[in-house]
Amino acid sequence: MLKSISLSSVAAAALALLPVTAMAESPTVKQIKERGTLLCSGHNGSYFGFVEVNDKNEWKGLDIDLCRALTTAILGDPTANQIVPLSWAQRFPALQSGDVDVIIKATGWTMGRDTELGLQFSLPYFFGGTQFMAHGELGITDAKDLDGGTICVEAGTTIERIAANYLSTIDVEHTMVSYESAAELRAAYVANRCDAFAGWGPNLAVLRATEIDNPDAHVILSDQLSSEPISAAMRQGDEEFVDVVNWMLAAMLIAEEEGVTMANVEEMAANPPNPKVARLLGAEPGMGERLGLRDTWAKEMLAAVGNFGEVYDRNLGANSPYKLDRGLNNLWSHGGVLYAPILD
Amino acid sequence: MAAATADELRIRAKRRKIIIQVVLIGVSLLAVVGAVTTARTNLEAQGLTSGFAFLERGTGWDYSFSLVPKDISDPYAWTIFVGFLNTLFVGFIAIFLTTLFGFIIGTARDASNIAVKTAATVYIQTFRNIPLILQLVFLYAVLINLPGPRQAMSMGDALFLSNRGFMFPGLNVSSGVALTLLLVSLALGVLLIWRKMPLFTGLAAWIVGSVLICLVAAFAFRPEGEEMFSIPALQGLRFRGGITIPIELLGMIVAITLYGSAYIAEVVRGGLSQVPKGLTEAGQALGLTKAAIWSQIKMPMALRSIIPPLGNQWIFMMKATTIGVAIGFSDLFYIVSISITQSGQTLELIAILAGAFLLVNGSLAIFTNWLNARMKLKAH
Repeated sequence: MLKSISLSSVAAAALALLPVTAMAESPTVKQIKERGTLLCSGHNGSYFGFVEVNDKNEWKGLDIDLCRALTTAILGDPTANQIVPLSWAQRFPALQSGDVDVIIKATGWTMGRDTELGLQFSLPYFFGGTQFMAHGELGITDAKDLDGGTICVEAGTTIERIAANYLSTIDVEHTMVSYESAAELRAAYVANRCDAFAGWGPNLAVLRATEIDNPDAHVILSDQLSSEPISAAMRQGDEEFVDVVNWMLAAMLIAEEEGVTMANVEEMAANPPNPKVARLLGAEPGMGERLGLRDTWAKEMLAAVGNFGEVYDRNLGANSPYKLDRGLNNLWSHGGVLYAPILD
Repeated sequence: MAAATADELRIRAKRRKIIIQVVLIGVSLLAVVGAVTTARTNLEAQGLTSGFAFLERGTGWDYSFSLVPKDISDPYAWTIFVGFLNTLFVGFIAIFLTTLFGFIIGTARDASNIAVKTAATVYIQTFRNIPLILQLVFLYAVLINLPGPRQAMSMGDALFLSNRGFMFPGLNVSSGVALTLLLVSLALGVLLIWRKMPLFTGLAAWIVGSVLICLVAAFAFRPEGEEMFSIPALQGLRFRGGITIPIELLGMIVAITLYGSAYIAEVVRGGLSQVPKGLTEAGQALGLTKAAIWSQIKMPMALRSIIPPLGNQWIFMMKATTIGVAIGFSDLFYIVSISITQSGQTLELIAILAGAFLLVNGSLAIFTNWLNARMKLKAH
C-alpha cells in the first residue's frame, strides 16, 4: 500500500514537471495524413444496416458513417476514405497487415480478439443481442406470451443456446426447431411453421424490412436475451489512435446529448449555449491539440455526418427501412447504455 | 533344379497365404495406430482436448423431436441417445411402410391390367430417379405452407392437419406405456413370422392382436377419472391432447416411404418375374383365385429371391434418415452434427455416429440372414 502510494506520487510529480505539449502523434494518424486517405473495412456484399452498397453503388450504413466521421476528424474531408471490401474472416488479417487502418464492421469485443489477436477496442458504440421476432397476428409483445409456441433458430449457433436458456429461465413451454441452413430457417418462419424466430436483433430488423412481404405484420419482441458490445478494432500498440477513435465516438454522443445536430452545428458553434458545447465545437481551444488534430474537427465531423442519434436513425432506426428501436443503443439519459467520457 | 513335389508346392502355397495374411493384418494395425497417434499429437499441438468426458456435460441447446422426456440441461450422452431413438423410430416406420407399399406396387407392376401396370411403372420411375434430398426439401416446402394451427384443416374435429403437424386422437397413456405397446406389437409381429403364419392370416392376427393389447392398456393405464382416448384441441398457440406427428417427422416418413417403396417395388417385381410361369398356370388349372395364386404360389416362391436385396433396402432406409438435417428433424446425424459445432469434439462424435450405424445396420443384416435361412426351401 505504502509502496504504491509513493510510486504514484512520484509519477504525479514527474508528470507535473513535464512541459505541457501536444501528445505524441499517433503513427497511424501520421500515416493516414501522409497518405491523404483513411482505409476502412467494407464488406464483400451488403451487411444491411451496417455496411451496405446502395443501388448507386455507394457505400452506406452505420459503420460506413462512422468511418466518414473518423475521416472528417482526421483529414477534414468526409470523402477522403477508401472502403476496402473484406469478408468476415479477412478483417483481422487485413488490419494486421495494414490493408485497413481500422475495422468498423459490426465487430464484437471479445477477450480472444483483445488478447490473442493483438487488437485494441474502442468504446462500444452498439449493443446487439439475441431477440425474438414473431408474427404480428398472434398479438404477442414479449416472450412470456410464446407459451406453447414453436420457435425457429439457426442450428449450432450461440443464439440457439441463449434462446433455449432464456425460455427455460422464464419457464415458457415451447418447441424449438433448429435449421442448419439460414435459407431454410427463413422459409420456415415466413411460411408460419414457427410462431417466433430467434436471432441477432439487427439481423431480425433487416430480415423484416428486406425479405418479408409485409414488414408491419411482424413484431420484434421487447425481450433482450443477451447483449454483445460492438466496437471499432485497431492494432495493438497505438494508444493515441485509440484515443482519436474513442473521442470521435464520444463527440458524437456529447453532441446528441447537447442537441447539436447536422442542421444547427454552425449556429451552435457561433453562439455556444454552454462552455462544454463551446469546447466541443472548437469555439474554445482544447479539443484538437490534445489529440493531435484541429480544434474544429468535431464541428466539421458533425456537419458532415451528424450526431450519433442522427447516424443511427438514418441507418438502422426510424428513418431507415429497418425501423430498429434504439433500445439499449440510446443515450444513458434516455434508457440506453451509451455514454461518453467527460469532456473537461 | 529338381522339380518340387506336389506336397512341397502345397506347403509353399500355404506359407505364402499365411505371410500375406500376417502382412495385411500388420499393415492395417499400423495404419490404425498411426492415425490415432497422429490425431492425438495434432490435437494436443492445437490445444484441443480429446476424450469422451464431454458426454457428461449438459448441452444447453434444444431440438425439435424426442420420444422421451428431454431438457436443455441433459448431458450430451442422453441427447445423442435421443437422436439414436429418433433414427430408429423413423427408420423402422420407414422400413415397415416401404416394405408394405413396395409389395403392393411391385405386385401392381406385375399385374396383367395395363392401367395398373402403367401407373405402377410411372410411380417407380418418377420417385426412384429423383434424389431423395430433393424430394424431401420439396415436400417440406409444401408441408410448411399448409394452413397454420388456427386455420388447421380438420376432419370431424378429431383429425387436424396444419403446418405444425398431423394431430389425431390417441390413447390416454404416458409415453413410456406407449413405447412399451409399440415394442410389444413389434414382438408380436416377429413371433408371427417366426411361427411361419400364412401371410393374410398372420397380418390379420397381428392387427387384431395389437389393437386388443392397446385397448386393454388404455383401459388399465389411463389417468384416474379420465377418458380412454385423448382428443386434440386448439389451445393458445398449439394443439394439446391427442398425438401430434410434427411436420418434420411427417415429411421424413412420407419422403422416405415414397422413395424407398419405388426401390422395394422393383425388388418385388424382380422376384415375382423369376417364378416359373408353369407354377402360375398350374394354379389357374386348379381353379385357384388370383389372390390365392399370389399368396400361395407366387409370393412364397418369389420371397426367396426377394429377401436378400430387400435386406439391402432396409439398411438403406435406415441410413436415409440422415437427411433429417435438411429440414430440422432431430435424427442421430442432426444431433451429432450440432454437437460437433457446439462442443468441438469432432472425432469422438463421428466415431459415435459410425458406431451407432454399424450396430443398427449390422443387426439388420443379421436379421435378414436369419429371415433368409428361415424362408429357404428345405430341399434345396
